[in-house]
Amino acid sequence: MTDSILITFETSDGKKVEVQARTGISVMEAAVMNNITGIEAECGGACICATCHVYCKFPSGAAVDEMSLAEDDMLDLAAAERQEASRLSCQLQVSKNMHGAVFVIPEGAL
Amino acid sequence: MSAVVIVGASHAGVQAAASLRQFGWEGGIILLSAETDHPYHRPPLSKAYLARQKDDEQLLLRAPDFYRSQGIDLCLGEPALAIDPQARQVTTAARCIGYDKLILATGSKARTLHLPGHDAEGIHTLRSIANARALRTALEKARNIVIIGGGFIGLEVAATAAAAGKSVSLLEAQSRLLSRALPATLGEFLARQHGERGVDIRFQAMPERYDVAEGQIIGVILRDGTRLPADLVLVGIGGIADTALTDPLGLKVQAGGIAVDAHARTNLPDVYAVGDVAAFQNICAPDPMRLESVQNAVDQAKAAAAHIAGGHAPLTATPWFWTDQYDMKIQMAGLSRPGVVDIMRGTPGDGGFSIAQMAEDRLVALYSVNRAADHMASRRLIASGQRLDPARVADIETPLMKTVAGVS
Repeated sequence: MTDSILITFETSDGKKVEVQARTGISVMEAAVMNNITGIEAECGGACICATCHVYCKFPSGAAVDEMSLAEDDMLDLAAAERQEASRLSCQLQVSKNMHGAVFVIPEGAL
Repeated sequence: MSAVVIVGASHAGVQAAASLRQFGWEGGIILLSAETDHPYHRPPLSKAYLARQKDDEQLLLRAPDFYRSQGIDLCLGEPALAIDPQARQVTTAARCIGYDKLILATGSKARTLHLPGHDAEGIHTLRSIANARALRTALEKARNIVIIGGGFIGLEVAATAAAAGKSVSLLEAQSRLLSRALPATLGEFLARQHGERGVDIRFQAMPERYDVAEGQIIGVILRDGTRLPADLVLVGIGGIADTALTDPLGLKVQAGGIAVDAHARTNLPDVYAVGDVAAFQNICAPDPMRLESVQNAVDQAKAAAAHIAGGHAPLTATPWFWTDQYDMKIQMAGLSRPGVVDIMRGTPGDGGFSIAQMAEDRLVALYSVNRAADHMASRRLIASGQRLDPARVADIETPLMKTVAGVS
């Protein structure tokens, strides 16, 4: 049995979509499987296109994958403005303690 | 109701369908696929999928219910068998489908090698997910692997297999790896990386025949008489545009692909071609060429969709491409051309480094290893055509975006 948790995607116009995401896949993959608009993920998770940029609100205590240098560099030059909470969703693995996390999709990410 | 028929649910075909809706096309969209799997990302087939780090679901381009939700009629296992551009019809085994606009997204197929013994069990190519499944199962059982061809697919599979502890030999016809695609310094660096991980790369090596016993591959005999034991062979000698269906149509062909303009239009009215199958005069290239890449598939599909939906978004994107091997993320932007000057940023083997190719102080192409910042900056600087200060480009401590001449 694969565990799954609840996470929320929020578009820049405030529309929220709650989805069940199975642990072990990436947040980007959870978005694609649920047809979340604005997560293009052109490169399929190779950390090279920066079209899966999200602003993250994690629940307290969530252990989150550390940012690699490559992700850090990609975010610096991503299309949407980089913020403190910016991540590439392909680099975030869905884990149990991420339950309740909210991922906001940057404006103009289409 | 007017309809767009898309032949091939490749990355380009699926992007064209999605973009048509996004750009406001209200007519029908029929997406024909020869394959029975839902459309998927191809790059992981030689890497994470082969290593079982990603499963089928994680490879999907879109969720299975995406197509219906967007009014896209995805027809799996229903290949187009014939096209009649006069009658504006596509024929499948089941029916004739009329179209107002046709998008050809048939992709490319693996070039094959007809050496004596080529029909033996254990000789693979890699292009589709079905190929990848067969290769993955065989790879897990194999001990001695011979890869014919030192291109991107061959090297990625070599890396995956070597990381899994397999004995891997790789035959390259030229005297260095990727001699047309990469600067010499980078090709040599890659060869060293593979060598250090136990891959036996043989340059100027030509296979002559397969050694077969009871229908199963047991070795590869080279022209110099060397015999390499093999229970698995991967032939990775490049791709050719899949034009079997379109050859009878009288389409203009160039550089081995269907000739298209910046809107992905062919020479036939209302017929477009996108992705690997199309050959296009890219603004970065001196001659028309095919580009087998995700970037080109996506951007060309968007250009075609925009044109069909009544918009105007000609393809002007800077080409980019990547390959992942071991812990190396190798990224390329732009297209090299004769006369460029190579400028090193950093030293191979000493963490990340990049090779900038410049002409008249402008960036033409950039190749980077574990230097994502250089890669992303290079896409912008190649597109903008700004003059750069070569001395600062050569200084790895200076961010590439800060190398624009006259700006401090």
